[in-house]
Amino acid sequence: MINIRRLLGLQVIVAAGLMLSITQGFAQQPRADVGDEPGLMADDSVQLEPEFQKQMVLYRTTEAPGTIIISTADRHLYVVQGNGRALRYGIGVGRDGFQWQGLLKISRKAEWPDWTPPPEMIARQPYLPRFMAGGPGNPLGARALYLGATVYRIHGTNRPDTIGTAVSSGCFRLVNADVADLYERIPVGTKVIVRQKPEI
Amino acid sequence: MGMKRTFTTGLAIGLVVATAVAAAAITYERYDTKTLKRTVKRDAVLCGVNTGLPGFSSPDAQGNWTGFDVDFCRAVAAAIFNDPKKVTFVPLDASDRFKELQSRKVDILSRNSTWSMSRETNYDLYFPAVSYYDGQGFMVPKSRKIDSALELDGSKVCVQDSTTTALNLADYFRSNNIKYTEVKLPKLDDVLKAYNSGQCDTFTADASQLYALRMTMSKPDDHVVLPDVISKEPLAPVVRQRDDDWMMIVKWTLYAMINAEELGITSKNIDEALKSKKPDVMRLVGTEGAYGEDLSLSKDWAARIIRHVGNYGEVYDRNIGEGSKLKIPRGLNQIWSAGGIQYAPPIR
Repeated sequence: MINIRRLLGLQVIVAAGLMLSITQGFAQQPRADVGDEPGLMADDSVQLEPEFQKQMVLYRTTEAPGTIIISTADRHLYVVQGNGRALRYGIGVGRDGFQWQGLLKISRKAEWPDWTPPPEMIARQPYLPRFMAGGPGNPLGARALYLGATVYRIHGTNRPDTIGTAVSSGCFRLVNADVADLYERIPVGTKVIVRQKPEI
Repeated sequence: MGMKRTFTTGLAIGLVVATAVAAAAITYERYDTKTLKRTVKRDAVLCGVNTGLPGFSSPDAQGNWTGFDVDFCRAVAAAIFNDPKKVTFVPLDASDRFKELQSRKVDILSRNSTWSMSRETNYDLYFPAVSYYDGQGFMVPKSRKIDSALELDGSKVCVQDSTTTALNLADYFRSNNIKYTEVKLPKLDDVLKAYNSGQCDTFTADASQLYALRMTMSKPDDHVVLPDVISKEPLAPVVRQRDDDWMMIVKWTLYAMINAEELGITSKNIDEALKSKKPDVMRLVGTEGAYGEDLSLSKDWAARIIRHVGNYGEVYDRNIGEGSKLKIPRGLNQIWSAGGIQYAPPIR
């Protein structure tokens, strides 16, 4: 069953690849879309590197317990616990040119979210579906936490192997087990601080 | 008569000169101020290191040294010679390391040494800056699912006897009203064996030691080191007192590496950084000002360090962090703006 689904996913990738090759401008960055494959099933056998497994770490901050701090450079998402601690998750982040920083709040939460790629994403990657119902093959994965009024989200994934990399269009992805855990801990209204590597 | 007076005067002058020369020699003996000059003449930094400590300093079969403490000496060599290989490593035992530095057998001691007051005052030494914040921690089986030392109430604790580790343990648990039973053993290896055989619920030692010992266990992933650190063991390079020029080079080498990490400059993007128009970056890499020349080095002293050895985070990761077998989390040694306490004064 899984094999068949993976095969289907593969076909979608092949189709996307064909479109890439005929779409000028994207020919120069052939892997720019990795991680946005609709229909691809998550391969749960992928074991995260120890660095990207959920764990309690020492983290000194003046931010209040409950606050989310995202460190784009280290590919880590912290939930401040107080007492010098934070719960740390491994994440995948935006590729070069799709990283950003700032302060936002969680505006909405959803289980097995539907995916409506925003117009700017369609413009860049015209082969993407206009709409995809939530489910295991959806690139947003099991849960999504929406960031303010932006197009960015903290979400699950159908590509666990992309955790620790910079491939997205600016969203932050966790493996489904981690995003489900985060979903239970984080209420709407939570402060989210996104920190980026300094520019040189 | 005339002859005799001349002789007496001559004798007196001779005595004065001899005394002055002797005094100068003694002063020279006590206060060495020419470490940099001798290092340049010798064409190598003399670096005192641990005879073998995984992640910090260890030689391979060909005698090539690697490790966190080793890389620090390479960084100093890179700053002075633009060549990280111009270091002679001198393995030293814990017992005579400070005397060997005093007697000029080495120029820097980069040998997991804790900075304490008496070590500076008793040995006439100076610890310029903290390279690694170590401290006493606890190892527990992962299956216990605890993440704080405060949850160790009622535990049997394995600890090495007659050490400050045992004293710190008693102080910490007493002040936090935690009840515990001590299992004291004379040797660290025996302490590990006792923990492995299930004689105790947790094992306490300096955190860097716990990570090194975990590597030797049959299932390292089944054990975690708690994030709590209950004592202060700041490890630092060491130099002789009263050679301020040398001390400044050692101190600012470390601070250059920490500042480089904070500014996002790495061995991979150093060429890009040399074209940067950001003032902080320009001052560090030497495209603005002449900060290196004030250290008797070149303008690009810090760029040399970053190019050949890397910034603080790169050195940490490949030797003792996520890129190494030890996998010690950054913890306190993370940059101050990212959850830790590593903080370097600015270069300006």
